[in-house]
Amino acid sequence: MVDIGILLQILFWGIYAGCIYILLATGLNLIFGVMKIVNFAHGEFLMIGAYITATVFIISGINPYVIILVSMLALIGIGAVVERLCFRPILGTSKLNEIFLSIGLIYIFQNGAAMVWGDEWQSVKSPYEGIAIPLGPLNLPLDYIIIMIVTAAILAALFLFLQKTRIGREMRATSQNRKGAMLVGINVERMDILSFGIGCALAAAAGTLWVVSGQVFNPYMGSIPAVKAFAIIILGGLGSIPGAIVGGLLYGIAENGAAYFLGGVWKDAISFIILIIVLVFRPTGLFGESGE
Amino acid sequence: MRYSILFFIVALIATVMITGCTQQQPAAGSGEEIKIGVIASLTGPASNVGKNMWQSAQVAADEINAAGGVAIGPSGKKIPVKLIVGDDESTQQGGQKAATKLITDDKVDILVGGYSSAVTSAYQQTIAEYQIPYIVTGASSPVITHRTDIDTSYVFHHCPTTDTYGKYTTMFIDQVVRPAVNKKLGAPDNRPFRLAIIYQDTAYGKGVQTAVQNTIAKNNLNIILVSEQGYRMGESDFRTPLTAIKAENPDAVYLGAFPNEGAPIITQARRDIGLDSIFLNVENNDNAQFYKDLGQYGEGAIIESRFSPYTAPEGVLAAAQENFKNSYFAKWGMYPDMMGASTYEGIFIAAEAIKNAGTTDKAAVRQALVDLSMPQVIEAMKDGKISFTSDFRESQFDLWMEQLVYDQSIGECRPHIVWPDNLKVTTFTLPDWYKPGSA
Repeated sequence: MVDIGILLQILFWGIYAGCIYILLATGLNLIFGVMKIVNFAHGEFLMIGAYITATVFIISGINPYVIILVSMLALIGIGAVVERLCFRPILGTSKLNEIFLSIGLIYIFQNGAAMVWGDEWQSVKSPYEGIAIPLGPLNLPLDYIIIMIVTAAILAALFLFLQKTRIGREMRATSQNRKGAMLVGINVERMDILSFGIGCALAAAAGTLWVVSGQVFNPYMGSIPAVKAFAIIILGGLGSIPGAIVGGLLYGIAENGAAYFLGGVWKDAISFIILIIVLVFRPTGLFGESGE
Repeated sequence: MRYSILFFIVALIATVMITGCTQQQPAAGSGEEIKIGVIASLTGPASNVGKNMWQSAQVAADEINAAGGVAIGPSGKKIPVKLIVGDDESTQQGGQKAATKLITDDKVDILVGGYSSAVTSAYQQTIAEYQIPYIVTGASSPVITHRTDIDTSYVFHHCPTTDTYGKYTTMFIDQVVRPAVNKKLGAPDNRPFRLAIIYQDTAYGKGVQTAVQNTIAKNNLNIILVSEQGYRMGESDFRTPLTAIKAENPDAVYLGAFPNEGAPIITQARRDIGLDSIFLNVENNDNAQFYKDLGQYGEGAIIESRFSPYTAPEGVLAAAQENFKNSYFAKWGMYPDMMGASTYEGIFIAAEAIKNAGTTDKAAVRQALVDLSMPQVIEAMKDGKISFTSDFRESQFDLWMEQLVYDQSIGECRPHIVWPDNLKVTTFTLPDWYKPGSA
């Protein structure tokens, strides 16, 4: 007989893990939606975001949940530069160029980070660590509750931006039909640079939440989450933001459930088992459009 | 006339070159220098440990050369040692490349080093092929010298294995932790001790797990394994396996983990899960970064060790260890870790074997390693001697257990040796917050 309290506790850890996946996958999907490019180096933006937050936190001692804004702004800038210098020149050429370019970026970012920050594992301590809120059979540490609220707030802000602002609507229009968007006078190159920057900022948010939850980080931390984020957007449907959210949550919960019921070695495998099963029944993903 | 002068010059140059070449030949025992190849992970995920190993080797070579070098042959002529490093890049292919280059290009006389059993075992075939003596000072799986698929007769293991860690730690639990918990509970001595294991799902982690199981079975110990949770190497989120462990109410938790995993496991267990238990750690966690990452959550934890940045056993070795730490600090501006200590000794072992063999001939040096019996250098060895067992060519370490005590003034824990009796400086205690398990 499995204790319901334990199941709820594992569900809680799953949602926490899901929050980081959601932010990473949503950003990746936003970029893919608008630019239709495959960026394997997306996990490196999470890593850079994590280091920026940790560095600012260590130097200033400001609450790390506030630093998330600094880290996101910095990554909008870095993302814009990477888009302009690396991806724009090859946009519309072969997919192979994108793949090799992004693999090259992985090495450049990892080695660059190792030069600046060293390649040893690091961790920082949240100011709220040790504070927990008891809830029935559960004991919920405050940090994870804040992480969930911050994730929800960022997603809500993104939703409002895409739905209610002119730029957001233009971005969606570009995502739906690039040529059509150009015809009605939308500057699609501006949309590219903007969506790339926002996508990177979301990765920075994921990196920040990774750091404040007390998890260790090093320059190579981004690779595995990036692979998972790719699996999530394929699962949820390419270009679909609700798909990335549902997929991210599903993966977080499934991984922790697998670690509990099947053993820790199944944690990574379960994601891909789910992906294969979903693709058999819905080749365009959970929220994918059949025409895509 | 002009031609004859030209001929003369050419002949002179040729003679000089030939003589030069002859002098560089590594003629047995009469070469200009003894070449020791050091295989270490200078880049990649294990570079932290690898740099420490390589820097420690250089400290040893400096000391040997400061004394004139290694005395070889009947003349007792002293020859300096020269170290050549091979970077295994923390990968199996990198290890293969490094070993091949050191053996075939640099033509080293002997090899020292090797970290990660997976990386080291990948190039053992090359060692067997070229029959070059190799003193492994970092890889901890017993497989290194126990495997039978290739010839390991040139491989000597100077580093405790997962078998040894598991055995010492389990015996410590039985002799020290179990009675202390029974005393706290007022329980009879026959109460079974509830041990949980969380291990990295690799040869290393599973080696620790198997060693615990075997030690319990072989000695018929009153310990039951209530939960055994594996995780993938490099994992950083351990909350679910720890939730599963907490549900089984253990008396203590043994970690078969690397330092970058061990510190997060303990932190997440105490901070997020509320698993207020005694955490026992494998020796490679005993480094400065581990104490820094743990902070106050390390309180009460145990580390099995043989070389610590912050403590040393009483007696003769304390001074020797202090000496090594100081010379290392003087040269590199930082402190050595455990794998550095055994690599430092590895260079001395190589020098001693070549001195005893009186030559750099590889078969003779191998035999000298088989027959070796030299006084311990900086780490505690069985009977105070470094020698390799006749069956699997493993040196025998004397391990100890440290308990961590939180020091508020530095915000970190510091270790104190609590076992065995001949080395201990204080007694093991259960912290006030400790919660024993229950069936």
